[in-house]
Amino acid sequence: MTPTDESQRIQNRLTKGSFVVASQYVFLLTILLPIQSSLAADRVNNDADSVNESELLVPKPISNRCGKCHGAETRKGDLDLSSLVGIRAGGESGDPLIDQKPLSGRLWQVIQDGEMPPENEAPLDKEEIEQIKSWIQANHARLREALSSEKPKSIHDVLPTLLLRCVSCHGAQRTDGGLDLRTHASIIKGGESGSALVKGQPDESLLIRRVESQACPPGHLLLKFFVRRPSKAEINLLRDWIKAGAPEGNVNPDIASDAPDPLVSESDRQHWAYQPPQKTTRYQSIDNFIEQQLHEINQTFSPRAERDTLIRRVYMNLLGLPPSLDQWLHWHDHPSPDWYSMMVDDVLASPHYGERWGRYWLDLAGYADSEGGISADPIRPVAWKYRDYVVRSFNQDKPYDQFLIEQLAGDELTDHANVQELQPEMIDHLIATGFLRMGIDETGSRTMNFVPERLKVISDTISIVSSGLMGLTMECARCHTHKYDPIPQRDYYRFKAIFQGALDEHDWKSFKQRKLSIGLDKDRKAIAATNPPLAKQRNQLLQQAKQQQDNLTMVTLRSHYPAQSEADQSATLVALKVADNQRTLPQRLLVEKLQRAQAIPDSEQISAVLEARLNLEKIEDQIQRVDRQMVPPLTIRALWDNGRPSPTYILKRGEHDKPGRLVGPGVPSVLTDGETPFSYSPPFPDGTAKTGRRLAFAQWLTSPQHPTTARVMVNRIWFHHFGQGLVSTLENFGVMGQKPTHPELLDWLAISFVENGWSIKTMHRLILNSRTYQQSSRVTPQAKKGDPQNKYYSRMPLRRLDAESIRDSLLFVSDQLDTTQGGLPDPVSVSSEGEVSIKPTDTSKWRRSLYAQYRRTEIPTMLDTFDYPQMGPNCLERSVSNVSPQSLLMLNNRQVRELAASLAHRVQSLLSEKTGKADDPTKNQHPEDQYNLLIDLTYQITLSRSPTLQEKTLGRETLKHLRNRLSGNLSLALESYCHAIMNSASFLYVD
Amino acid sequence: MGLAHLLTQDYLIADSSASETPGKSERARYDLTAKSAHHPAKAKSVIQLFMNGGPSQMDLFDPKPVLNRMDGKPYPGNVEGIGNQSTTDIGVMMGGQYPMHQHGESGLWLADVLPETASLADDLCMVHSMWTDHPNHDNALYKIHSGRLFMGYPTLGSWVVYGLGSENQNLPAYVVLSDPLGLPKNGTRNWTAGFLPPVYQGTPFRPTGSPILNLSKQYSEPPEVTRTARELLRQLDRSHQKERPYQPELDARIQSYELASRMQLAAGEALDINRETKETQELYGIGKQATDSFGRRCLLARRLVERGVRYVQIFLEEQPWDSHVDLASNHRAACERTDQPVAGLLRDLKRSGLLDSTLVIWGGEFGRTPTSQRSGDIYTGRDHNMQAFTSWMAGGGIKGGVSYGTTDDFGHQVTENPVSVHDFHATILHCLGLHHQDLFFDRSGLEERLTGVNPPRVVNELLL
Repeated sequence: MTPTDESQRIQNRLTKGSFVVASQYVFLLTILLPIQSSLAADRVNNDADSVNESELLVPKPISNRCGKCHGAETRKGDLDLSSLVGIRAGGESGDPLIDQKPLSGRLWQVIQDGEMPPENEAPLDKEEIEQIKSWIQANHARLREALSSEKPKSIHDVLPTLLLRCVSCHGAQRTDGGLDLRTHASIIKGGESGSALVKGQPDESLLIRRVESQACPPGHLLLKFFVRRPSKAEINLLRDWIKAGAPEGNVNPDIASDAPDPLVSESDRQHWAYQPPQKTTRYQSIDNFIEQQLHEINQTFSPRAERDTLIRRVYMNLLGLPPSLDQWLHWHDHPSPDWYSMMVDDVLASPHYGERWGRYWLDLAGYADSEGGISADPIRPVAWKYRDYVVRSFNQDKPYDQFLIEQLAGDELTDHANVQELQPEMIDHLIATGFLRMGIDETGSRTMNFVPERLKVISDTISIVSSGLMGLTMECARCHTHKYDPIPQRDYYRFKAIFQGALDEHDWKSFKQRKLSIGLDKDRKAIAATNPPLAKQRNQLLQQAKQQQDNLTMVTLRSHYPAQSEADQSATLVALKVADNQRTLPQRLLVEKLQRAQAIPDSEQISAVLEARLNLEKIEDQIQRVDRQMVPPLTIRALWDNGRPSPTYILKRGEHDKPGRLVGPGVPSVLTDGETPFSYSPPFPDGTAKTGRRLAFAQWLTSPQHPTTARVMVNRIWFHHFGQGLVSTLENFGVMGQKPTHPELLDWLAISFVENGWSIKTMHRLILNSRTYQQSSRVTPQAKKGDPQNKYYSRMPLRRLDAESIRDSLLFVSDQLDTTQGGLPDPVSVSSEGEVSIKPTDTSKWRRSLYAQYRRTEIPTMLDTFDYPQMGPNCLERSVSNVSPQSLLMLNNRQVRELAASLAHRVQSLLSEKTGKADDPTKNQHPEDQYNLLIDLTYQITLSRSPTLQEKTLGRETLKHLRNRLSGNLSLALESYCHAIMNSASFLYVD
Repeated sequence: MGLAHLLTQDYLIADSSASETPGKSERARYDLTAKSAHHPAKAKSVIQLFMNGGPSQMDLFDPKPVLNRMDGKPYPGNVEGIGNQSTTDIGVMMGGQYPMHQHGESGLWLADVLPETASLADDLCMVHSMWTDHPNHDNALYKIHSGRLFMGYPTLGSWVVYGLGSENQNLPAYVVLSDPLGLPKNGTRNWTAGFLPPVYQGTPFRPTGSPILNLSKQYSEPPEVTRTARELLRQLDRSHQKERPYQPELDARIQSYELASRMQLAAGEALDINRETKETQELYGIGKQATDSFGRRCLLARRLVERGVRYVQIFLEEQPWDSHVDLASNHRAACERTDQPVAGLLRDLKRSGLLDSTLVIWGGEFGRTPTSQRSGDIYTGRDHNMQAFTSWMAGGGIKGGVSYGTTDDFGHQVTENPVSVHDFHATILHCLGLHHQDLFFDRSGLEERLTGVNPPRVVNELLL
């Protein structure tokens, strides 16, 4: 083929907007004419415009070898090396490909370092390397010139700067001087002082003058509006743009189109999880799938577990609580052959079910009662409404698709501002959006509300949604294209654009401003009728608390420093009211003196100090009691769309001030066919302005054909039943995730889930009624050999109770559990030793751990010790540790001991109830028989079974022995005995 | 790992059967047994003397004659670039508050308020070119401890014990000695394990009473009764375990109960400073009012690293170095509390040879501004400076008598050899035999590192 033929052929291709490299050299579409700087989408479409004079040639090794992955059609790392246009645009890293020195640019560096071609490709040979090197060296000056002659072509070259530096005062929330800098038209129109610019004349432009003289942004407002000054480079860009005539340009955001996706290929979509679940007709039950694979490894199901084991297993698994004594007896003695499935139905109907399974969801959402991020760790006063919404939804068996739609787009389901009459479920929909607001949010702080901090809040939300609901890890793509999964950086920012209407870093609401006050009339009335007198009472109590605090300080000082002058004592009170780093030295010394006195252990404090402290605690308890008597406020911690999203730009390396090209909303390409645009429309065209982006996303996510939504959820349900997922990486179904152990079963379950109306309780029934679930947990030598990790489900796993189950069960068996549901979280107290304990309610009992206040900086010690997670931003799988602080807590902690005493007391009262009855044959029985009865009851209450003969003998001997050592005191002996049972593996593990 | 070995360890598993699950095992079990380092190393343990609040570099270590000369004059540069943007009361240039002299053969500069530390100048490696990313305490503290500006990331100590485990299974691997007067700023988040499994978080030893929460009974019961009840528990658990063969977790559980009682003894012994001679106690300033409290913590730190504890962190309450007002007296007070104990610790480690294998780190979360800060009508303190501060290191494979990095004439910005927090961390890891790139944790498919995404620089110039 002659060069002439070749060039003709290429010319032909160019007119079609793409080309393939097939020969030694390619004629370059080039760029001495200024072209779009940041718009890859346009560079594909506009190639034809740029074909012209210059003939810089890209050598074959680059266009051919590199172009295989970095070409116009397949653009790995968002890099197109087939043309100078592409070379100028660079990849997503933003590093210059051709730099100041011929060989200092990234293009040569990656070749020199052997970083490229990647491992799975043949390396470049010597000749090819030489060819590239000499091409770069020979053309360096021309390349530099070509690459640096770039001029701003559109508003989108400067808009990111204006958004970052100016719109806080001249944008959506404020239009100081009547100026709005968000659109081309409004910039030209200008404000009270006229147009912001004079086209072609930067020096004459108000915009430039104000910025360069530092009149804007005004120094005293920088921190108020969380703005930093533009950099020199940013100002120069503004200048260049004005000089170029302040063009608006015609830039369309990069969104999915019906053309094939250059960044995600068909083969990328072949990974199993990116394909919709496959229907199978081979089997129609869990057991068939499991048994077939067991059969293949010469294993069989283990025998069915004993009845008592099954009772405890189902209760602990579904409720996180053991059965009550009556419930246990009921199922233990149930005559029906269907007792088991009857029990499953019965337990699923318990209101405690939602508390248990809702908790799993709260882990996924990253639920917390505080904002985190800064030392003050501000409380989220009404986050609990979301917690109650979740518990309610699980108890109602709300279809999972609806559950997701409400949480992702509840604000776009009803036009709350224009609705005739509010219904409770409409309010629930707003509460549901709290799901998107659970991450750490420091933006309400005085100093931490800059764009990078806002972006972090957004990225936490994206991470929760993508890993929790879609089984995708998108975090990496915030800074660069995912290393392993086909998630280009572009897709991260398209995904971010879905949330832009509500979470807009350039139109931000801090957590303090992000609340709605919407309620039913009857709630309004209830508040008006009930709260005012309580609020008054509360204020009085607060005053008392302050006085009591001062009193405690004074008493402490007087008791430890009798010689201290009164003036110094009052000065200490004053000093305490000054922020610690603002205190003068004398103030500091006074406070330290006080702290030394406070640090002295209680045993060495005089009674007046302890009394004053107790009084203070009492007042605080009273305040909390008043709080609980109040009707909850109408406030909702919601997320809502404002209908005015800022444009979304790719951020190179994830850096907030390195904008790349403009993108529009979209979902990860790999989860689509790659040729279907993401479509959305405002949900209330005649009402409140909203983008409808999240609603469209939620509907896409819950479409029956979605490749991961149902799979991820059934896998999660499976995990909470069996302690391992069919896919062991619950949060990652991508290339780096584990493959499913039973792919067909996973798909069958996912399809059943959707076909059964996304009913979670139906899935529980399906699983719990299987033979697989009802197996014994004993490991036989054969099973150990053939299925050592229980990958094939040759038995049920033995599992330790999780943090909440341990605490809740301890409270339950000792009759110290207050089963009231919902409402304000229970406050915690922090001892001087750092132990965080949950306070009891007015009944002097404790509620379930779910209702304890989860403040990020004050996690209750008992829960923390048993692996209660730190939400960062959420927890998709808790770790289970086995460490000595747990043993120390169970053995030595005062509260655990007190619960043992309560249990002992309960057992004794039950016994005396029994023996009190005249016709009871146990009356006046021998102590041995009394021991037997006590032991029976203890076992039945705590372990939901009767003791074995051996356990009974051991128990009798121990009780006798203990009682002897305790001067015959049976109650104390029983307390010690119960304490041991509560510590035993039988209590802490479920078979 | 053999079963027998396993039985003697605390360990953690992700689920009851995962201990041998292929593919998952890397992240399935986490324990504190000693691990081999990535490369041979001098340091075996770390004592971090954390100086909360931000000590002033120009008043203590980095003399600035120009600043002294210009005392009282306005700052010649752009004041917007100075200090903490939240406090805009920028005053005038403020000269060093104390006389400074050169010490030892190395001629390192130290202020006269640190006489004891100064006498050990030739053992110290001064890094004058530290810088960080945020002028607020909260964020700068997260940064210096975890390498990130935000809460929720594992601290250096957590990473170190994750990487190396501990030499002593009867004591926690990562111990925090905080001030009896109260927690430091940011509280327990200064020693959080973040997303690493909770076994790697710092264990605070309480200064009074029982050193670890729940280490001894919080209720009273005759010892023989406790013994009987424990024996019952042991028997119940043994038979429970016997009925359930092939469940190593149950063995480990029984062991953890036994370890609990061993820990009771070991911790008590380690913390009993009465076993030290009077001379040693005095070396640390124990018994003198100003130095007693910090001295005790320093001595405890030595006793702990001696027993194989990997990482010890010592804190002061709140932030005594944070001198926005009255810097001269505030810093003097902080020096009086810490100077002799710190020097005592170095001398004691040195004479026993432990200094060779113990890396001692001294420093805060940032430095202070060259200008004074207005407070009312007085200009007596300095604001936060994230652009330059001094930290020092000693022992554990670090060169002594070194002055590294320089700052401008005012001590405001780094001019030569900048050391970022990531560089600092990478260097500390290096001393311990860990390579920052190889020390990672797989978090939902994301490889998380202490030193972040962009490779840091191990500051080789500081290494022996």
